[in-house]
Amino acid sequence: MTVALVVAFGLGAVVIALTGGDPLAAFGEMLTGGFTGSGLRNTLSRMIPIVGMALAFSLAFRSGVLNLGGEGQMLMGALFGTMTAIVLPGPGPVVIVAALLVGAAVGALWALLPALGQTKFQVPLLITSLLLNYVARATTSYLVRYPFGEPGAAFASTVAVPESNRIPDFPFLGGGISISLFFVFGLVALLAVVYRRSVFGYETAMLGFSGPFARYGGVDVERKTLLVMASAGAIGGLVGSHLVLGETYRYIDADMIAQTGFAWTGLMVSLLAANRPVAILLAGFFFAGLQIGGFAMERATKVSWQLAEMIQALVIVAVVSRLGLTWRRRRKLGEEVGPPQPEMETAHVGEV
Amino acid sequence: MLAQLVDMSLWESVVRALIPVLLAAIGGLICERAGVFQISLEGMMLAGAFAAVAAAHVTGSALAAAAAAAVAGVLLSLVLAFGAVSRGGNAIVLGVAINILAVGLTSFLLPQLFGVRGSFQPEGGVRILRIAIPGLSDLPFIGPVLFNLSILGYAALLLVPATWLFLFRTQLGLRLRGVGERPLAAETLGVSSTVYRYAAVVASGVLAGLAGAQLALGNVGVFTEGISSGRGWIAVVAVMLGRAHPFGVLAACLLFGFTEAFGFRLQGQGYPVQITDALPFVVTLVALVIARKRFRRLLDLTASTV
Repeated sequence: MTVALVVAFGLGAVVIALTGGDPLAAFGEMLTGGFTGSGLRNTLSRMIPIVGMALAFSLAFRSGVLNLGGEGQMLMGALFGTMTAIVLPGPGPVVIVAALLVGAAVGALWALLPALGQTKFQVPLLITSLLLNYVARATTSYLVRYPFGEPGAAFASTVAVPESNRIPDFPFLGGGISISLFFVFGLVALLAVVYRRSVFGYETAMLGFSGPFARYGGVDVERKTLLVMASAGAIGGLVGSHLVLGETYRYIDADMIAQTGFAWTGLMVSLLAANRPVAILLAGFFFAGLQIGGFAMERATKVSWQLAEMIQALVIVAVVSRLGLTWRRRRKLGEEVGPPQPEMETAHVGEV
Repeated sequence: MLAQLVDMSLWESVVRALIPVLLAAIGGLICERAGVFQISLEGMMLAGAFAAVAAAHVTGSALAAAAAAAVAGVLLSLVLAFGAVSRGGNAIVLGVAINILAVGLTSFLLPQLFGVRGSFQPEGGVRILRIAIPGLSDLPFIGPVLFNLSILGYAALLLVPATWLFLFRTQLGLRLRGVGERPLAAETLGVSSTVYRYAAVVASGVLAGLAGAQLALGNVGVFTEGISSGRGWIAVVAVMLGRAHPFGVLAACLLFGFTEAFGFRLQGQGYPVQITDALPFVVTLVALVIARKRFRRLLDLTASTV
């Protein structure tokens, strides 16, 4: 991973220099902006969706299920969660819980579509989950513009969620951080235990290791696939609902479509962390900080913040191309290493 | 009402919608035949569109724009080739990462190079050259539909039989398929799977890059963030539905082109734009379910991802 980071930041520096910027100044601003002072607070806030989507991705991916539909699951969950918080009467806390449950349920249902496609019709989930993102975008855009939209609004959005039904911020930490962060930490701990200590965790890991092997070992592969997809979708729906109930307080179409980037950042975080929850927390902190630092960098040096996205993708490309692995082995063996063996491949993305 | 919706000018827009997807899908099918699962078409298309617009802006030449698009596609394809073929990394995960990289790269370079966000219109109004073939373009119906296309449009359509000839009637094509189906046997006969796979992936980079050029400079002459908007993924599906056979893939692309054109027509009739946006994906999903049980290999591939 060290090699991957060096390669990614190195290439990032080259791109900055080529486009007429000063790489060192830019990276300096990025790190101080993302990991110190008020930037740190924003980084913690941004961890909520990033770590959340990473956990959702890891749940399916460690079972060998490549769910590329995080975007859509997040959007659908967010919209229905928001509508619940807007229309449901009752005391605030009850409505919030109900809204989150609806968001999770809708996210889970949306994730079950591609899962059922794979288990019932043998249509690869990898591709259908992705295609459904575009369907979800169009569906949510339509609903927000017409039936659920605020009449006469300049841009497509729902009305604001009543103040009593919003997810509160922590009373300490200087404000600005939603208590959802607490639940994200809880989810990390829960999944860490589930993955390592439960039958479910063992069976799904076995499924990820080898489908036929798991089937032979008595695992109901179809049911587990449905279960991990529903759970992943539920987390996606929760993250989406948080983004509205805890951050923006109204579902704004263009804004939410921009936020779908969290699904992909989460995917990268999970890949970097090899699907391990605690490592996801650390990698999520790092990537969130890079993005927040990117905004500071743009203000100070005119290097646009998307540099952060680019560097993150480069890290993942380098990790997946196993740059580090080869160099380490080469050093150890002191000789040229041929194409890696199949068992290395399973070791890499699974449990390194 | 159907008569209003389906007429000759519809078929013109069908072909227009078809071309970028077909270009990318031919690249995808060559990779599939060489045994590399290629899902970074979307990213290469996006990078190609950006490079084309940037080059058109700087040089004012459509040829330079197309060349830049091809180079951009090739650069990204080399990432996949190196990671998946040389390093034995997982092609699916790499493909996903390359798609994200292309989004990051283009959305970084857009403000960095041109100081704008969202979209950029190059100076000079450069377009990919459109040629009406004398005589043929005057034929009723098929004239305007098939013989009044951009150069890349003709290239895409001609590539379908050309790819078929290459794959099934040449020695190189046979070897390429051998590498895809029985890599060990091919190696034993002295056919390097590495060389053929690199070549296939690079070819897909050229084609997907050009698809991006056609997308950005074929009709409107503008780059918008996320301009590929899922067409690279549709191309992946077209390869699956067409079973990596050139004519099958053409048929699948036609289905997509028809759906997109039909969606635009519906929009013209006052239906919401979201129907146009969703229709190609909904139809593609339905087609996947109908054509099920053809995807065993891909299922095996994804099952061994972790």
